[in-house]
Amino acid sequence: MTHIAIDPITRIEGHLRIEAEVDSGQVTDAWSSSTMFRGIEIILQNRDPRDAWLFAQRI
Amino acid sequence: MHAVCSVRAVENALGIQIPPNANLIRNLIAGAQMIQDHVIHFYHLGALDWVDIVSALSADPGATSQLAQSISPWPDSSTAYFKGVQDRLNAFVSGGQLGPFTNGYWGHPAYKLPPEANLMAVAHYLAALDWQREFIKVHAILGAKNPHLQTYLVGGMACPVDFNSQAAINEHSIAFMQDLFTQAETFVKQVYLPDVLAIAPFYLEWAGLGEGTGNFLSYGDYPLFQPLAGQTAELYLPSGIILGRDLSTVHLVDQEKIAEYVTHSWYTYANENEALQPWDGETKPNYTGPNPPYDRLNTDGKYSWIKAPRYEDKPMEVGPLARMLVAYASGQPDVKKWVDAALGQLKVGPEALFSTLGRIAARCVETVVLSEQMVPWTEQLAANIQGGDLRIEDNTLWEPSTWPAEAKGFGSTEAPRGALGHWVRIKNGRIERYQAVVPSTWNGSPRDANGQMGPYEAALIGTPVANPDQPLEILRTIHSFDPCMACAVHVVDPTRRETGTFRVS
Repeated sequence: MTHIAIDPITRIEGHLRIEAEVDSGQVTDAWSSSTMFRGIEIILQNRDPRDAWLFAQRI
Repeated sequence: MHAVCSVRAVENALGIQIPPNANLIRNLIAGAQMIQDHVIHFYHLGALDWVDIVSALSADPGATSQLAQSISPWPDSSTAYFKGVQDRLNAFVSGGQLGPFTNGYWGHPAYKLPPEANLMAVAHYLAALDWQREFIKVHAILGAKNPHLQTYLVGGMACPVDFNSQAAINEHSIAFMQDLFTQAETFVKQVYLPDVLAIAPFYLEWAGLGEGTGNFLSYGDYPLFQPLAGQTAELYLPSGIILGRDLSTVHLVDQEKIAEYVTHSWYTYANENEALQPWDGETKPNYTGPNPPYDRLNTDGKYSWIKAPRYEDKPMEVGPLARMLVAYASGQPDVKKWVDAALGQLKVGPEALFSTLGRIAARCVETVVLSEQMVPWTEQLAANIQGGDLRIEDNTLWEPSTWPAEAKGFGSTEAPRGALGHWVRIKNGRIERYQAVVPSTWNGSPRDANGQMGPYEAALIGTPVANPDQPLEILRTIHSFDPCMACAVHVVDPTRRETGTFRVS
C-alpha cells in the first residue's frame, strides 16, 4: 500500500491537493482537498445587492 | 460567469425581467467564454497528460503532414509547417528552456501516441494559443475587457446598442464579432474536434476508467427569448438530472433540494452532521488541519476548504459531460447529432461517456455545438437593433425604495466547468446572506456526513498507477473535470518545488 499526495495539482485554476492509496498498481481510496479559503460570502454580507456581481466575479 | 449568476440571483429575488437584447448579449458572452475555455482546457491544461512533447522531436514532419491532411482540411498542415514547429521545440529543448513543458512525465509508459500525432498536437497547442488571444476580443467588445467584464447590471446590461453611435454595439462591432465567431467555428471543427477524435482511439481504455458517481446535474443555460426556427425550448442547453447513469429518465431540478455538508470541511455548523440549503447556508471557517508543510491530512476528520453539496443527499457531477448527457437524454437535436457523430466515429456506445475520456469528448462536442449558435444569436441581436429595439436594461425596480423589505433569490448559469448557483437573501436593501455553490464544489467535494465520496474521489477509485512517483494517470482523471478551485488568488510557497510536490510514503 502506497500513500500518494499531489499538492498542488498543476494545469488547473486554484489550489487542489489529492491524496490517494495505491495498492497493486491501482487507486483504492482517494481524498480531494481544496487548500485555499474563499470567503466571498462573508465579504458580501451587508452590501448593496446591486454591487454583488462585481465582488462575486472575483471568485 | 459569477457576474451573470449574481445579477440573475438578485433579479430573481426582486422580480426583475431583462430585455431580449440583454439576454442575447449575456448568451454571447457566456458562449464565447465556454468556447475559449474549452479549447484552452484541451490544449493547454489537459492535453499534456496524453501528448508526449519530447516524443514529438522524433516525428517525421512529412508523415505528420499526411496525418493532419487525412483528418482535416485545416490549411496549416504542410511538411514545412510541422518542420518549423519541430525546430522551435528542438530549440527549447536543446536550450534547456522547456518553459511550460518543464516537469512533465515525458517518456512515461502510459503515453501511447506515435511521434507524428504528438507533433501535430504540439503544433495545435501553439496555434490554439494564438487563436484564443484573438477570439476573446469578443469580450472586449461586449464587456470592455477580459477577464472580469464590466458591463453587467441588475436589470440588463450596461453596453448600449445603436447602429448610429460610435460608442455603442454598432454595425462595425457586430461584423467584427461575426468574423471571430466564424473563425471560431472553423477552428473548433477543423482542429479541436479532429484532434480529439484522432487521439482518443489510442486511449480507448480510458472510456472505461474514471467514471465517478454516475449522477449528473445541469441547471441548463442560454435562455431563448426569441427561439430560432424549429426550437421550442426555453433554454438552449436543457436543465435536468441523471441518476445512476440511467439515460432513459431526465429528472427535474429543484434547487431547494440542494444542501451542503461541512462534516469533512473546515467550517462550523451548529449541527455538524446536518446539511444546509444555501438560502440558510453559513460560512464560518474553522481550520483544524495540520500546519504546512505536512505529509498527510487527517481525512477521518475535516480535510478541505470545499463544502460537500448534495442533491437529495446524493453527490452529483457537473460540467460538460453532465450538460451533454442531460441534453442527449432530453433529445436536444444539436447535441444528439454531434454526440452520435463522435460516438460513431470512435465506434463506442453512449456508456463510453461515463469516463475520463467521456468528459474530454463531451467538452469538445459542447464546443462544436455552441460554436454553431454564436453567428445566429449575433444575427438576432443585429436584427433587433435594426428593427429599432434598443432596450438593454429595465430599471423600473432599480431603486431600493421599490423593493420589498425582505426577498430571496436564486440565480444559476452553466459555467464552463459546470452548474453554478448563487443564493441571496436581501433585507432592508442590503445583502443579509449570500452563498455560491460553484462547479468545483460539486466535483471536488470531500466526503459528506454519510461518508459518500465526491466525484473526483469516486472517479479515482480503480485508476491504474504504473509508477507512484509519476502519478500521470491520476492527473488524467482529475484534469478531465477541469478543476477551478478558486480563480483570483494565488499563493506561492517558496520552500516547495515550483510546480508540484509529491510525497510517497
